Amino acid sequence: MGERLQEDEDLGEVSTIKSLLRLRQFVKPYRFRFFSGIGMFGVARLLEAMVPVLTASAINKMTMDIFDVREELLGIALAVLLRYVAISLARFSVRRVGLHVAFDLRNKLYEHLQFQGSDFFSKNSIGDMMTRAVADISLIQRLFSAGSILLIILVYASATGFGFMLYYSPSLTLLLLPPLPFIFIYAFYAARSLGKTSTQVQERLSDIGTHTQENLSGIRTIQALVQEENEISSFSKTNQRYANAFQKQAQINSSMAAWMPSMAAACSIVIIGYGGHQVQNGEIMIGDLVAFFMFLNMVIQPFRVAGFIINLFQRAAIGSDRLFEVFDLPPEIIDQHQAGTVGETKGHLQISALTFRYPGEERYAIKDVSVEVQPGNILAIMGRVGSGKSTILKQVVRLLDPEPERIFLDGVDVRNFSLSELRRLVALVPQDPFLFAEPLKDNLTYDDPERTLNLIWDAARSADLSNTIESFPDRLDTLIGERGVTLSGGQKQRATLARGLIRKAPVLILDDCFSAVDTETEEHILSELKRVRAGQTTILVSHRVSTARHADKIIVLDEGMVIEKGSHEELLLEGGYYAELERVQREGGQDGDLKNKRAGVR
Amino acid sequence: MTASISSNSRTAAERDYSVFEADISGAALNLTLLRRLLGWLRPYRRLIAISSILVLVASALQILLPIIISLVVIDHILRGNSSSNSPDFGLVELNVSLSEFFGLPPLIIACGMYVVFQLGSASIGHAHRMTLVQAVINGLRDLRLDLFSHMETRPSSFFDRVAVGRVMTRVTNDVEALYELLRGLGTLVGEFVPFFVALFVMSMINVELTLLLLLALPLIALVTFLFRRRTRVLFRQARQTLSAMNQNLQENLAGLQVVQISDRQQHNLDRYNRINKENRGYEVRLGRIETLYGAFNESIAHIGIGLILYYGATQVMDVSMTVGEVVLFTQFIGMLFNPIVVLGEQTNILFRAMASGERIFQALDWDEANHEPQNPVQLPSRLQGKIEFKNLEFSYLPGEKVIKDMTLSVNPGETLAIVGPTGSGKSTLMKLLGRFYDISDNTIFLDGIDLNEIHSKELRKRIGTVLQDFHIFSGTIFDNISLGDQNISLGKVIEASKTVNAHSFIDALPLGYDTVLSERGQNLSQGQRQLLAFARVLAADPEILVLDEATANIDTETELLIQDALEKITKGRTSIVIAHRLQTIQEADRVLVFNNGIIEELGSHEELLQANGLYATLHKLQFQEERG
Repeated sequence: MGERLQEDEDLGEVSTIKSLLRLRQFVKPYRFRFFSGIGMFGVARLLEAMVPVLTASAINKMTMDIFDVREELLGIALAVLLRYVAISLARFSVRRVGLHVAFDLRNKLYEHLQFQGSDFFSKNSIGDMMTRAVADISLIQRLFSAGSILLIILVYASATGFGFMLYYSPSLTLLLLPPLPFIFIYAFYAARSLGKTSTQVQERLSDIGTHTQENLSGIRTIQALVQEENEISSFSKTNQRYANAFQKQAQINSSMAAWMPSMAAACSIVIIGYGGHQVQNGEIMIGDLVAFFMFLNMVIQPFRVAGFIINLFQRAAIGSDRLFEVFDLPPEIIDQHQAGTVGETKGHLQISALTFRYPGEERYAIKDVSVEVQPGNILAIMGRVGSGKSTILKQVVRLLDPEPERIFLDGVDVRNFSLSELRRLVALVPQDPFLFAEPLKDNLTYDDPERTLNLIWDAARSADLSNTIESFPDRLDTLIGERGVTLSGGQKQRATLARGLIRKAPVLILDDCFSAVDTETEEHILSELKRVRAGQTTILVSHRVSTARHADKIIVLDEGMVIEKGSHEELLLEGGYYAELERVQREGGQDGDLKNKRAGVR
Repeated sequence: MTASISSNSRTAAERDYSVFEADISGAALNLTLLRRLLGWLRPYRRLIAISSILVLVASALQILLPIIISLVVIDHILRGNSSSNSPDFGLVELNVSLSEFFGLPPLIIACGMYVVFQLGSASIGHAHRMTLVQAVINGLRDLRLDLFSHMETRPSSFFDRVAVGRVMTRVTNDVEALYELLRGLGTLVGEFVPFFVALFVMSMINVELTLLLLLALPLIALVTFLFRRRTRVLFRQARQTLSAMNQNLQENLAGLQVVQISDRQQHNLDRYNRINKENRGYEVRLGRIETLYGAFNESIAHIGIGLILYYGATQVMDVSMTVGEVVLFTQFIGMLFNPIVVLGEQTNILFRAMASGERIFQALDWDEANHEPQNPVQLPSRLQGKIEFKNLEFSYLPGEKVIKDMTLSVNPGETLAIVGPTGSGKSTLMKLLGRFYDISDNTIFLDGIDLNEIHSKELRKRIGTVLQDFHIFSGTIFDNISLGDQNISLGKVIEASKTVNAHSFIDALPLGYDTVLSERGQNLSQGQRQLLAFARVLAADPEILVLDEATANIDTETELLIQDALEKITKGRTSIVIAHRLQTIQEADRVLVFNNGIIEELGSHEELLQANGLYATLHKLQFQEERG
């Protein structure tokens, strides 16, 4: 669980097939449509072969001085008409299967990702997941809309072409065979490297985008440090790399366009030389000779894209592997079997001897932490960055799963609550003030869109957000984010705070939610908090002593352990880390003292 | 860029920045635009000329191949009745004389001719494509670099109003559309030359049949047109829904914690599913139309073969056409229909490229620039560092003064802390000092020299600026501190890092100063980034330091390290610090209280506290609480 997922790599032929076979379960619902499409392709190909056959017949008639070719004209017209229907049906059904498979894959991936936890996302970036959702699925879609269709055409064309050639002249057909492997091998390799260079061109282009984006994001620093020329010459290199990749791709493309027909000319001169000889000997007729040229074309044309097809299959296989890696992961945190709802909750929280280690890490993030919060009390947690504050809070709402019998809400192990019940009872406001690019109102009522306007404004007032909202063009309907209003750090924090307050949960957890809010505002919010949450339990995380002093109980964490515990006054009297922190924040000082205090306490 | 850019008469407020908003859609054919675009190909015109000659030769050779099969082999050799007026370009005669010369059967000679012409056409065709591609690649590479350089040197007022993503789209997608346009034009040329040669040969043989076949062209063109019109909208809808889906997913993942603690998974999945379904609907309709269209063109060519045979048979009967000529017509049919199909495929690209070209040139013509002196003053190798503001006024928008009649002088070596409410004009002052915006003459002086007399690049080398956000340049930590200055050795970099308390964490990295920083700098904490920025300034050793203190979420211990480093880098140089920390203010020589663009108060921390004015109030609000 939660393994770092693999990067792109070249797969062997065997694993290519194995990977693609796993897609069977997604094709299964559409198998009838898929196989009838493939069958239709065969019908279409046979009908198409009627064109050379009837052309040969008409020309043969002319060489025998028979000039009535109405039958051939009608035959061609009929064959073309039927083929039109068959080929359209065939292509459309296979392509449609691809669209449905992609649709199902997208939904499945979305659903699956939603149930992954922080462990998964600490190891896999969102960018990586987006690539899977966008690029990998579209590769599989293209496998159907282009890859499999081209492969079917290639197989049918070869079979039909050779079948008819054998019928006209077995000996000429056999003579055509020697050059063919060379053509196919060349086509295969050329097109495969074409596929590779195309990928490179795409990558180099996205390099240009990334380079520009990053450069312009820092344009003020660049100009302030007079780095424009360095940056332009650095961009020039990225630009040149793209040009080189592009040229390489064009080179292979053009070579193929030149040498494929040249190699096929080997077959053409066999038809001219030996076929012409056969005509002179009266073994075949001129029309048959013409048909040979047409069938040769039919066989060779599809091979121009053979390497491209293989490339598509391989890349789709990699895409499929990458998707199944995600599908194969179980959700990190699930409901217990006996999980159920509990009645009225008072908000009594008990953490006893909690210990936690992140998967794959030696160090304990949390060591033997015990603390009890009475209903209606405020608990403040202090400590340096990385001391384990957020890790504890995430376990309370089971964003990380605690060990059994460690965290109790009203005496019940949090693991025995269903996830949705637990998260309804305990509202967490995370450290990162994340807002969705949606109207402000939808953001504030994210867990329950049905809330009344009164409730929204109440929460906004408590979080000191109401004046901000009034200043927005569309007030609560103002769109947040790049295409709407960009909020400052402090506004974002206050908005997420309001989103937490509005839930009126028995337990509210504020994970360092005031860092970007000025002290005066914070003071106002804290007094509001005490008012609206009277009788309900609240947990605060902060770096500021000015925040912590409002709490009934304070714990100071260091390296996952509780080093001090008590009320503001008690801790000041104790003269330990907390007291030193208070002094430093009041008047400034050397950090050596803080280090010593930490060491001293431990 | 040159040193003589003078400020453009139009102010930022008068400009229409919305031209940077539009996305790729389509525009009408615009010849001025094309001509201007060709300007970038001018340096490579010799390549283009060579390429044009080569394409003619290659196409001519290529057209001879079907003629060898039909007129030489079938008519002359196999049937022995070549008609005298067939346009065989002397190939029959050549075959006869070569056959006599080598004493070989005519069929063998025909094979030889076929191979020679094929190889010739292939190699010349390859040479044609490569020379053309070379010219296009070089030309557009230059265009892209010009565009980037132009954007890179726009003033701050430009970047205040235009989002980075928009400029990026110009540099990537819009230039890319031009690549596609030129590549498409190349393909068209490759199709049209054989078309005209084939048309010429066919009408030499039989005008009537040629005209009959040409009748199909308007039909193909009409169907292609209707097809494009039907699919264009669907195409856009499919693309829009797809990008909405991606946006939805991206955001859902970014805010997943919130999603999970709000128990919104099912609701979000339903919403995603709806867009997904809509997208599939468009894709299915698109697929249906595309399939029907693709098969149509193939069918027309097949029907054409039937018509050639039927009509040809009557002509052969009348001895006005030979069997070989009928075969030749069937072989030419592809060349006749291909160009119109390709043309249809290319029109979308053409119109898209027109729109892209328009936007690129709008960006290139964007002449917004800051004032630079015609004859910049040469600064002495070391400035004293005296800064004077005399009746400085500034406004971003006309009538909304951000700085009002400000007069102040900062002595060499002095540290001045600026405090004030958000929006009071603190950071504007800092930007004006680096001349990121135009100021009036004789309002700011550096060692008695009017700032407008100094070239901005020279000025910025003397003023070390530390912004709140530390930008990481691609490269190692060493590169990021030395910034490519040859005079800054590794020793100097290490010394600077030690001074600002950055050395210990850099040294702890496996690669030390050779550590390549990730582009977005995620492998550094906020505090570490701030320290690196300090090291950067210290290594460059500017006479003046301008600093906007970071207010990020930094724990108390790191904050102390930063405080210590700050003290060291301000020592011995004139420093102007927008201060957010109490200690920074206390250690400054003077504190400037800025409010609504005017100097409200000026003096030492203690003096101002005693004055009991705005500073005392601010201090009470911001810092009193910390006293507990």
